[in-house]
Amino acid sequence: MNVVPFFEWLDATWLASFAKTYAGLFSMVQAVHILSMVMLVGMIILGDLRMLNVVLKGVPSDVIIQNTKKWIYIGLVGIVLSGIYEASAIAMKLAYNSFFWAKMAGLAMGIVFMLSFRSAVYSRAPETIASTGPKSDAVEPWVVKLVASASLLIWFSVAANGRWIGFS
Amino acid sequence: MLNELLFEFATWLDGFQASTNLHEALYAYGWVEATHVLTLTLFLGMLLVIDLRLLGVAFKELPASTLMERLDKPMMIGFVVMIISGILLYFAIPVRSTQSIWFRIKVVLLIAAGINALLIRNMTRSADLAWDNDPVPPKRIRVGAGLSLSLWALVVVCGRNMAYDWWDCHKEMPYFMYWAAGCVNELAAFE
Repeated sequence: MNVVPFFEWLDATWLASFAKTYAGLFSMVQAVHILSMVMLVGMIILGDLRMLNVVLKGVPSDVIIQNTKKWIYIGLVGIVLSGIYEASAIAMKLAYNSFFWAKMAGLAMGIVFMLSFRSAVYSRAPETIASTGPKSDAVEPWVVKLVASASLLIWFSVAANGRWIGFS
Repeated sequence: MLNELLFEFATWLDGFQASTNLHEALYAYGWVEATHVLTLTLFLGMLLVIDLRLLGVAFKELPASTLMERLDKPMMIGFVVMIISGILLYFAIPVRSTQSIWFRIKVVLLIAAGINALLIRNMTRSADLAWDNDPVPPKRIRVGAGLSLSLWALVVVCGRNMAYDWWDCHKEMPYFMYWAAGCVNELAAFE
């Protein structure tokens, strides 16, 4: 699939010329992108560290995970909107940038992983991790810890590849 | 006077070969900067969790003290890594950072955020946490948490803007901006 025409189209939009014109606004959008990352990844880290029993051990994990959801979605909306704005200004650079594609692959993987495995496994965490009382469908502790570690790794790769777009 | 001292200090740091090496390193500088930014998710992420609880908008089922006491350690680990990587970044580019208007605002905001954190800490001593289980804490606590989040968001904005050269000393600027950024050589030219 050839995606270059899409970036050529993006590069020619009014959004791209607007984003390229106002440098001060662009840096503010960059800050919004970073702050959205803090909200999105911060809440994911909280959930993952909780399921690794690293933080808040003994506090019912369902309460923690449930509370992070709303902020994860707000962060995701902020990061995607500010990301599109930033991307429009450097569309032709991104079309050929491997860090950008690694980041997009990680982001897609992270979202799918979060909504499928992560959510399903966390809700079936055994008593030694979840502290919410015995469950009939509980999975082994190592499964929960593997999912938590994978989640941390995926989101780290998204953030690190994102930072590296600027250096490449 | 202060500007001259700071400039001398920065120039002295700039004389170290290690400073130049770090700045010009192909990967090391990038990794230090990436570490500085990515650690935000740990430090500010944990701070966000605590402050949202103190604002009474999230984690309302849990006692505020539980989050404050038990997320303190991961938050401080992130803070220490940010301070160390931040010092390294300053060491790599000392003169320009010293004369950056953004860096100067950032330092002032950091001090303000520190004072605010101490005030919150004083107001949340375990002895007078009668509201610990209340979903929405008292107003003074909510004001403190709101200030904390706002100050740190502005710190991030200033840090991000340091990368831009709009108000670097070599640019044509009003006298006030040279003064605020501490451009000692440019200021001397006015006299």
